[in-house]
Amino acid sequence: MSILTTELETTEIKSTSDIARLRPVFNTGKSIEINNVTVSFNTSKGTYTAVQDISLSVKKGEIISLIGHSGCGKSTLMGTISGMVKQTSGAVMVNGNLVTKPGPDRGIVFQNYSLLPWLSVYQNIYQAVDSAIKYKTTAEKKKLVENNLKMVKLWEHKDKLPGQLSGGMKQRVAIARAFAINPSVLLLDEPFGALDALTKSSMHIELLKLWNLDNREKTIVMVTHDIEEAIFLSDRVVVMNNGPAATIKEIVDVPIPRPRNKKDIVHNEAYMTIHDKLLNLLIDKFSIEDID
Amino acid sequence: MGGIWELISGLTKNEIPSPRDTWLVFKEVMQNPMQDDPDYKGIGIKLLSSLKRVGIGFGLGSLIAIPVGMLMGSSKILMNIINPMVQILRPVSPLAWFPLGLAIFQDSPQASIFMIFICSLWPTLINTAFGVAHIPQDHKNVSKAFGFSIWKNITKIVLPYTLPHILTGLRLSIGVAWMVIVAGEMLSGGMGLGYFVWEEGFNGGSVAKIIVAIIIIGIVGLILDKIFMALQKKFSYAI
Repeated sequence: MSILTTELETTEIKSTSDIARLRPVFNTGKSIEINNVTVSFNTSKGTYTAVQDISLSVKKGEIISLIGHSGCGKSTLMGTISGMVKQTSGAVMVNGNLVTKPGPDRGIVFQNYSLLPWLSVYQNIYQAVDSAIKYKTTAEKKKLVENNLKMVKLWEHKDKLPGQLSGGMKQRVAIARAFAINPSVLLLDEPFGALDALTKSSMHIELLKLWNLDNREKTIVMVTHDIEEAIFLSDRVVVMNNGPAATIKEIVDVPIPRPRNKKDIVHNEAYMTIHDKLLNLLIDKFSIEDID
Repeated sequence: MGGIWELISGLTKNEIPSPRDTWLVFKEVMQNPMQDDPDYKGIGIKLLSSLKRVGIGFGLGSLIAIPVGMLMGSSKILMNIINPMVQILRPVSPLAWFPLGLAIFQDSPQASIFMIFICSLWPTLINTAFGVAHIPQDHKNVSKAFGFSIWKNITKIVLPYTLPHILTGLRLSIGVAWMVIVAGEMLSGGMGLGYFVWEEGFNGGSVAKIIVAIIIIGIVGLILDKIFMALQKKFSYAI
């Protein structure tokens, strides 16, 4: 604090740019703030509202899941955070800055990996780093690619084309690519949806491991259909209503301590309660007796 | 196939020569293929002359067709402006362009090249435009999410994705161009395989030479096609 006051005392304010430099970032501790966001699209059949008037805050280093039925607008909502989707009204702030388009402070992992099939694993990550990060030298960028590929244990495969990799490997490359630009926020859109259950399970652990290696500083928002995945990974689970004009149904806290264990967690009391609650929120037919 | 040939030959009372007679003529034609005297040019020279004209016309045509195709594919407005022109000009027989070329260039070989140029445009242009217009959203997402510059977008996404389509277009174009050059040379006279068919074959009364020319034209066309097919294979990527 004393350093700050000294700087203010000794610096003469001569112009608005001086003031701009000294202006503190309005840090409310919130990594992501969604304020009254509505997203509507113009279609041939009229206006389609995907999400209506949604507000949500996410703290720095928090992991939250957006869960809901297909078409409930979860990907659209996450699109407003990443900047891939423009909201019709309302505002989204990430680290105090208004979101208008994608940027290097937010890393995105797509549902379909979206690796460029003609580039090697190495080049897929390098081109992303090269575009997103302007201020580093080539040598620094190369180091970033190397570090992140080694982190996901795919360095030996760096010269392979995506077509030569398995689904799980491709997704690990996509995750490495998102991590490589060192974003403060990670946005994952059903990242493990296309994987088999066993691979998916090990990917959960890998993701948490990467998050831990970064001192749990990255905020993670994940869209998923999978209740167990949501509970295992998240601090909070945001359950959405069905679309159109979807809103948040309920936000469920997951106060289970970390590091979480795949085997032990299913016997955890809190897990079982949360699991039941989410099932009730999302599913209305539990057995054949529920169908008339 | 040889059997059917013999049969047809017999039916036409040797108007169409038998395979054996044709083979004799073939050997005769293939003697000194690269002889380049003022009064006698070997078949090889004639072939090369045709290929040269095709090459220039096709090369120029592709140089125009690929960029215009890319512009067309990338913008709906440009597509709506250029496409009607393409659709009107495309069905026009290349041979109809020949007199126009002659009027412009006052020179037969150049008019031939002009004819090849025009007819090489359409398959390449249409296929290129199609490729650019159908870049998958997944790839475009990568460009948007990581902030690719326009240059990087073109070199790392548009061109690699469109290349197989461009090659398909080129392959179709070279096929058309090779067909057209033979017809064009019949109209224009001068050198080349088409002229050989007309002058030495038809006017010279040797149907065997016509057939020999057909075989040579067919084989060269096949080779050209195979070259582009190999290029296509090389540049297709498994997703």
